[in-house]
Amino acid sequence: MKKLTTLRILDIVTLVALLGATAMVFFYAPIERVMGAVQKVFYFHVAAGWVGMLSFLFAAIAGIIYLIKKSKIWDLVGVAAVEIGIIFIFITIVTGSIWARPIWNTWWTWDPRLTTVTIMELVYVAYLMLRQGIDDPERRSRFGAVYAIVGFLSVPLTFFSIRIFRTIHPVVIGGSDPSAVGTFDMTATMFQTMMVSIVVFSILFIDLVWHRIRLGKLANQVEELKFNIQD
Amino acid sequence: MNSTINTINYFIAGYVVIFGSIIGYVISLYVRWKNLKQEEEILSESVDHK
Amino acid sequence: MQKGGSKVQPKTSFFKALFAVVWKDLIAELRGKELISAMLVFALLVIFIFNFALELDPKTRSALTAGILWVTIIFAGNLGLNRSMSVEKDRGCLDGLLLAPVDRTAIYFGKSIANWIFMLIVAMIVLPIYSILYNTNIISPALILVIILGSEGYVAIGTLLASMAVQARTRDILLPILLFPVILPVLIAAVKASAGILSGFPLTDLQTWFNLLIVYDIIFTSVAFMVFDSVVEE
Repeated sequence: MKKLTTLRILDIVTLVALLGATAMVFFYAPIERVMGAVQKVFYFHVAAGWVGMLSFLFAAIAGIIYLIKKSKIWDLVGVAAVEIGIIFIFITIVTGSIWARPIWNTWWTWDPRLTTVTIMELVYVAYLMLRQGIDDPERRSRFGAVYAIVGFLSVPLTFFSIRIFRTIHPVVIGGSDPSAVGTFDMTATMFQTMMVSIVVFSILFIDLVWHRIRLGKLANQVEELKFNIQD
Repeated sequence: MNSTINTINYFIAGYVVIFGSIIGYVISLYVRWKNLKQEEEILSESVDHK
Repeated sequence: MQKGGSKVQPKTSFFKALFAVVWKDLIAELRGKELISAMLVFALLVIFIFNFALELDPKTRSALTAGILWVTIIFAGNLGLNRSMSVEKDRGCLDGLLLAPVDRTAIYFGKSIANWIFMLIVAMIVLPIYSILYNTNIISPALILVIILGSEGYVAIGTLLASMAVQARTRDILLPILLFPVILPVLIAAVKASAGILSGFPLTDLQTWFNLLIVYDIIFTSVAFMVFDSVVEE
């Protein structure tokens, strides 16, 4: 039961950290001169983006380890990392869009980063759909691992292709480099807030993954019970 | 135009999405947990009755 | 990777096995002609749909031809991959193949090469037909090279993913969902290279796209080769 108390403590730490970071964003970080309040969305947008992408890397590594070791815990880690990655990247995409709207007067730009991230999101939703379509648990884990690896490898290739695509054919909306428009000078307080946000989201990530792994273990137990009854 | 534009609505929308997604996911974890616990109850009982 | 010949091996030599798999698929197709005819008819129908869906007057057409061609190839290819692996699974051929004392990767390469050949056959028929329909010669060695490179990457990862998709309940819809996001780099490079060739750009301008295609082909063929064992083990 020691593990459970550790988890409970982590829950509290996560909650406090999240509230702390939010307070920091709301009150400590300054309001940006040109963009106004919406710029503050940036902190959690970047944090969610970084942690989201790292979690897909996690899933790919967990996939490799699972294929080598065949121990179920790595499959559980992989699914957890993908699910939570999907949530974080969803946050990244939507907050990015919300930020873009008042600044560039558009909900969407086809710039390389945003497009690649969205495609990446689709890959991981496909991962879940693959798993959902397979009934045999061992095969489900194996195939998940394979696709997590393949999917992750495709992301940098997609990014480079789109970036080269864009430099040869300039973006019509938003000028030549959308990421250049809407940049702002980060003050020290902004930088601190961003670093804190990234750390807090990492803690949140670990907390959520832990819970999701617990859920996965329970799901596996239930599935095994079902198989036993069918015998 | 040197005055800061009022983007407070977008700011609010952004944070609604952020917290909504996180809370939504936590709730989904909780609901799935409850459902699985229930299934486990029922299934263990049938195993015991065998 | 097993190499037959000088060593005394209980297993069939890698290349013999590979060739056998390719040959089996080609012969089977030669008899039934199911796969290629389905892919071909589908490809032609897609071209006709595009004719009505898009404004294809001569001016805009040249800008769109590359895109139309590759969408057609992608969709027909998807059809082919699906059928090719479904047939293996349904007739239990896959299990039979796996029981044979043969290096699994030989099966992977055999299936991929067979799928690749089918895609190329369809493409080689579609190109002249498109030229006739729009009264413009689009056939050129450079374009054929792009099609060869692009379809290799497509088939390398497609065969791997199709082997997985075919074992799921949601078999038919799953393959495109798994495949399309992952082959976007190939599609982008292939379309850009094709568009450049069709517009008459010098090949040196298009070097980046060719390089990307080759890099992609190498990376994904290697990865699929390394990972295929995990997909078909029992």
